[in-house]
Amino acid sequence: MAMAALRREGKRFALSSPNPINVLRSSLAPSEEQMSLGVRGISTQIVRNRMKSVKNIQKITKAMKMVAASKLRAIQVRAENSRGLWQPFTALLGDIPSVDVKKNVIVTISSDKGLCGGINSTSVKISRAMHRLTSGPDKESTYVILGEKAKAQLIRDSRNFIELSITELQKNFLNYTQVSVLAEEILKNVEYDALRVVFNKFQSVVSFLPTTATILSPEVVEREAEAGGKLGDLDAYEIEGGETKSEILQNLAEFQFSCVMFNAVMENACSEQGARMSAMDSSSRNAGEMLDRLTLTYNSIVDDAECGAFNRLRIFGDLPRFGPASSNSIVGTQ
Amino acid sequence: MSSTAAVPFWRAAGMTYISYSNICANLVRNCLKEPHKSEAISREKVHFSLSKWVDGKPEKPNCHVYKLSCF
Repeated sequence: MAMAALRREGKRFALSSPNPINVLRSSLAPSEEQMSLGVRGISTQIVRNRMKSVKNIQKITKAMKMVAASKLRAIQVRAENSRGLWQPFTALLGDIPSVDVKKNVIVTISSDKGLCGGINSTSVKISRAMHRLTSGPDKESTYVILGEKAKAQLIRDSRNFIELSITELQKNFLNYTQVSVLAEEILKNVEYDALRVVFNKFQSVVSFLPTTATILSPEVVEREAEAGGKLGDLDAYEIEGGETKSEILQNLAEFQFSCVMFNAVMENACSEQGARMSAMDSSSRNAGEMLDRLTLTYNSIVDDAECGAFNRLRIFGDLPRFGPASSNSIVGTQ
Repeated sequence: MSSTAAVPFWRAAGMTYISYSNICANLVRNCLKEPHKSEAISREKVHFSLSKWVDGKPEKPNCHVYKLSCF
């Protein structure tokens, strides 16, 4: 709804600027004023229309900023709490972006709506870089895209690498069940050795850090554990119950993916609202500056007009006619 | 080293750990008493629209409105 209003104002803005002739046709009384001024300078009608448009745009962007701020407040607490979900996993299984695997799947998280600054572009940039890094002679990588904005950008040059695309994620309130069902769908439909989730981590209202989280498939975890290094201590853990290690690793990997996705989706939603707040804020500020400049222009035109009227009174002894029965048409002598 | 140990029944039925834990969570939510129960049920709504891509072209998306509260 805000978008439609913005578009309306933009159209009115564009219409009011080029053609004074159309403007003349549209309103009667002020046109008299223009004609009596002669063809001197721009008419105030154009400037007034522009000022009205800009003021409306400023009101809309201010409202959008308030809405984004309130949504941010609601979701920020939940996002920070959700960080606790994946931290134990990272402590246990590690988060190794430099792992070398054959099949990579890059999960890019973006927003569905626009006007949120540059966060979607940075996500897509990182995804593309990751794709280049992880594609090689016997390696391949594909995309799973969440959100309309990344889909629109990645369609242009990576159509053939997209496996799944998911939209309309934020229709209801974000909750864990939704993201876990989504994660399950992804796991069912995609073969992978390593999943790399790309999202914008929410540091503060003005800073969003593009981040990657890496989740390895159980087989790769086994391989890395045997190879030593960060995962080498995995064998030090005892396994209770009747389950084998690969069984447990599989459960863990699935749950890890679900938790990491939840956190990533929430952080990205926070970053989206924060970025929208600052984008709308700078929009309002620009509109305010533009309004100041237009007001100065308007005042100078009106001053010119009054000056001209005063000069005419002084030289010709009469005031310019403003209309039929106007009280201004007093004929006076100097 | 193939494990001939019995896989859990849900894994044998084709479910992943995620769906298993979701069903368990749904059961727990249904055990709650009234004011908390409706809040908890509202936390379970799932809606997204997924579309698979074949050869660089998306197929028709299928909208996933998942209702777990059929138990």
